[in-house]
Parts: sequence; C-alpha cells; structure tokens
Amino acid sequence: MARSASERLRLGILVTVATAFLVVAAYLIGDKENMFSKTFSIGVLFNNVNGLKEGNNVRFSGVNVGTVKSITMQNDTTIKVVMVLKEEIQPFIKKDAVATIGTDGLVGNMIINIIPGKNTHEPVQDGDQIKSYSKIGADDLLSTLSVTNENAALLTADLLKVTEALTEGKGTLGRLLNDTTMAEDLSKTLTNLKYASYKATTSLEQLSATLNGVDRENSIANVLFKDTLSGMRLKSVIRDLENSGENLDSLLTNLNLIVYDIKGGKGALKYLTTDTVLVQQLEKTIQNIESGTESFNQNMEALKHNFLFRRYFKKLEKEQEKQND
Amino acid sequence: MMLSEKSIGSLISSFFKQIGALTFFAGHFFKEAIQPPYEFNELLKQCYSVGNRSLPLVSLTGFIIGLVLTLQTRPTLQEFGAVSWMPSMVGISIVREIGPVIIALICAGRVASGIGAELGSMRVTEQIDAMEVSGTNPFKFLVVTRITATTLMVPLLVIYGDVLALYGSFLVEHFKGDVSARLFFNQVFNALNFSDLIPAVIKSVFFGFAIGLVGCFKGYYCEKGTVGVGLAANTAVVMSSLLIFILDFIAVIISDIFYDL
Repeated sequence: MARSASERLRLGILVTVATAFLVVAAYLIGDKENMFSKTFSIGVLFNNVNGLKEGNNVRFSGVNVGTVKSITMQNDTTIKVVMVLKEEIQPFIKKDAVATIGTDGLVGNMIINIIPGKNTHEPVQDGDQIKSYSKIGADDLLSTLSVTNENAALLTADLLKVTEALTEGKGTLGRLLNDTTMAEDLSKTLTNLKYASYKATTSLEQLSATLNGVDRENSIANVLFKDTLSGMRLKSVIRDLENSGENLDSLLTNLNLIVYDIKGGKGALKYLTTDTVLVQQLEKTIQNIESGTESFNQNMEALKHNFLFRRYFKKLEKEQEKQND
Repeated sequence: MMLSEKSIGSLISSFFKQIGALTFFAGHFFKEAIQPPYEFNELLKQCYSVGNRSLPLVSLTGFIIGLVLTLQTRPTLQEFGAVSWMPSMVGISIVREIGPVIIALICAGRVASGIGAELGSMRVTEQIDAMEVSGTNPFKFLVVTRITATTLMVPLLVIYGDVLALYGSFLVEHFKGDVSARLFFNQVFNALNFSDLIPAVIKSVFFGFAIGLVGCFKGYYCEKGTVGVGLAANTAVVMSSLLIFILDFIAVIISDIFYDL
C-alpha cells in the first residue's frame, strides 16, 4: 500500500508537470496569437497578398502587434485582409496609417507592416479600413535586376576595352600612363606652369599695387575711372574729336579729289607738280621777272627824278603824309 | 524457414488476418473500456509503469536529440548566415515531428515489448485463463488498463521529451552562440503555432494507443510457449514502430488538410 501511494505521488507529479508544460506552451502560443488579450480588428484591401496566410504576423513600426485573421476575395482584383491587433496599440494607429505586405527577413514568412500615420489624424476604430501600399514584388525586383545585370555586362565589356587600350598605351590616357617621355614633358610643363603661376602672381601683385595707386585722389587715372564730371567732359571731347575726325575725313576726301583732278587733269597745276622742265622754265622766268622788276624799279626811280614826272611824285608824297597825320 | 515456405498469397492473407484481428481487438477494447466496472487502481499502476519508469529513458533521449540536432544543423545554418533561425527551426522540428516520433519509438521499444512479453508469459503460463475462471475479466484488467495507460502517458512523455530536447538545444546555442534563455525560448514560441502543437499532441495520443494496442494484442494472443513470448515481444516492437510511422504519415496528411501547413 505504501509503495502504491508513493507510485501514485510520482505519477501525480509526472502528470501535473507534463500538463503544466503543455498549458504553458499553449499559453505562450495563444498569447502570441492574441488569444488572451483584448483585441480589435481592422481591414485592408490589397490587389495581391503575395502568399500571405491567416495567422501571419502584423507589425507596427517593427513591433509584433497582431495577426492576420482572415483573407477573403472581395472581387476579381481586390482581396480583403482582416487583422486582429492588440487593443493597447489602438491609440497609436492613425486612420491614415498604411499597410504593406513584406517578408520576415529575406526568405521568411510573409508579414503585414503597418506604417504609422500622422499624429494629426484620429486613431483607428474597431472595424475600420486603412489604406494599403503594394511594394515591388520579388519577381519585379528580379526582372529589374536582370536589366541592371545586362547593363552592367555591357559596361564591364566597354570598361575592359578601355583598360586594354590603356594598358597597350593607346590614346592620350594610354600614352599618359605608359609613355615615360611624355611623363617627363608633363613634369617639365608642370614646372613651367609653376613658374608661370609664380610670375602671374607677381604680375597680379604689381597690378594690384597699380590699382591701389589709381585709387589715390587727383591722379589722372582716378579722375578717368571715378570722376563722373570729368567723364562727361571726356565724352564731349571725344564726341568733338569724332566730329572733327569726320570733318577731317571729308576734307581729306575733297583734297584727294582735288589731287586726283590735279593729277588727272590738264591744268597748269599738273604741269607745275609733274613737269620739271616747266618748273625750270618757271624758275628762269621768275628770275627774269625779278631782274626785269629790278630794272623796272631802277627805271621808275629814274622816272621820279625826271623833271617831267617829278611834280607828280611829290604831290603823291604830300597826300600820303596827310593821310598818315 | 517457415516464411520462405509460405506463398505470397498466404503472406498477404496473413497480413490482412492480422489487421482484421487487430481491428477486432481494438473494437473489443473500446467496448470494454466504456463498460463498467473500471479497473482504476490497475490503470494507475500501469500509468506509473509506462510513464514514470520510461521517464529517465525518454528524458535522456529527448535531451540528446536536442543537443545532436542543434550541433548537426549549426554548421549548415552558419554557412547560410542563418544561425539566428536555429531556435525557430529546432522548436518546430522537435514539437511537430521529431519529438513525438522519437519518443513514441522509444516507448514502443520499451513499453510495447514489455507489455507483449508480460501478457505473453501470462498467456503461456495460463494466468489469463485462470483469471477468466476466477471470474475476473482479464481483458478489462490487463488490456484496457494497459492500452489506456499508454494512450494517456505517451503524450505526456512526448511533452517531457520535447521540453528536454529544447533545453538541450538551448544549451548548445547558449555555449556556442551566446544566446540567452529568454531570446531562445521567445524565438521558439514565436515560431510555434497551434497548428504545430495540437496535431503533435493528438498524434502522440494515437501513437500511445497503437503501442498499447499492439503490445497487448501480441501478448494476449501469444502462442507456442516460451518461444512465443519472445516472438510476441519482438513483433510487438516491430509492428508498433511500423504503425507509428504509418500513423505519423496519416497525421501529417490530416493536419495538412486542417491547418494548411
């Protein structure tokens, strides 16, 4: 009997502990599925649920807040998913929250992610419906990746050509990489550039100093650059100069015409300018005239002293003296 | 030698006869189990015999299953960079499949052979006949209590085995991956659903029933003297093990229909 009682005790412990384990496991699983907490449900419409199943997790900002309760076809393009969420999360889910379907990890179970809405909106109520957003699916992703891969292949092929050309020393860059003479030239060029740059800096400093000098008052340059009155005057001077230039130009044109006429015509001036014999003859004539005039003067002087004309000349002198007085 | 002399037809005929006899035996069990009087004390004794006496073996086996499963799977998961999925994977594997089947097979080896040998020896020593003569219903006293005991205790042993297997797995993860107990068991229970737990418990009940039924059937109808006792124990183990796998297959199909796994 004593042995029987001991056996029963041990059996009782075994059964109790095993049942307790079962109950704890059931509670933990049930708690995960929100069977023992207050819940509320909201709906969301999708065009494609990507293999979502009843019981899949629902996450709000990355926190598990509920599970998928039901998935029903509304019509040929719309699927309604009802989610059971913990009541404690209700104040945080606004009416403008957006639900998306994603995966738990790269190849994990499908889950619904609820993206929080703005605080300005009211919290959702039991039975409300929130908006959905269909993210790019794995197939679309793969097809995009395929195109990207093709482009990458083309790019790498081109890049290979470029690198081959570079290695072989073709083209400017290739020569730049492989030609040692060019490298030396470049080095020299750089040295020259450095020197030129140094010179340019010096020149700029000098220019700067000159410009500083320009800034001094009463200097001609300052007046030229800064004095508006002088500027106006200069403008009028320039304008006058322009006018004078125009006049001069017309004058020169006329002169040109005259010279042309002189050269081309048959007037005396042409022969005067071009005929040296005539000039010589003219010189002789002038000399003759000069000698003739001298002889004439002498004759006239002799005439003044002649008794026939002496009275007339004296009379002329007297009249002139009167006029002078 | 005997088997080689039998034709295929007689083998098939023998197989179906066995199935038929087993079905009648099961029907007899249900009939006797419902009808009073109930052998409650004997049932408790058998529960203790099946449950408590199998507990050390089941505990050790479960613990080692957890350790080995985790150690063997770890390198592969590491290659994929998915070691963090170990608790989920081990949890689902043990609770859904490995725990119930392995523990049931252990019980088949220990309990079914024990029942087969015990009842077989009672049969060959005519103790069962003596019980009938003395007015005691040997079927109710010997068979109903044992089958009920295995049906009740095997699920409990499976739960123990599962818990210890998870603990073994946790120890490996803790020492190799520095995973805390809270994180490990959180991940295990996050991965588990009722669709994992309920079918596992239900099929454990059927496994227990099959172990008890086959053990009792083979022992109760034992023939050919002391040689028959050994044969009864041996065939009880073989047949109950085979039945466990068949039931497991059926259970997977049925749970697949109900839970869409």
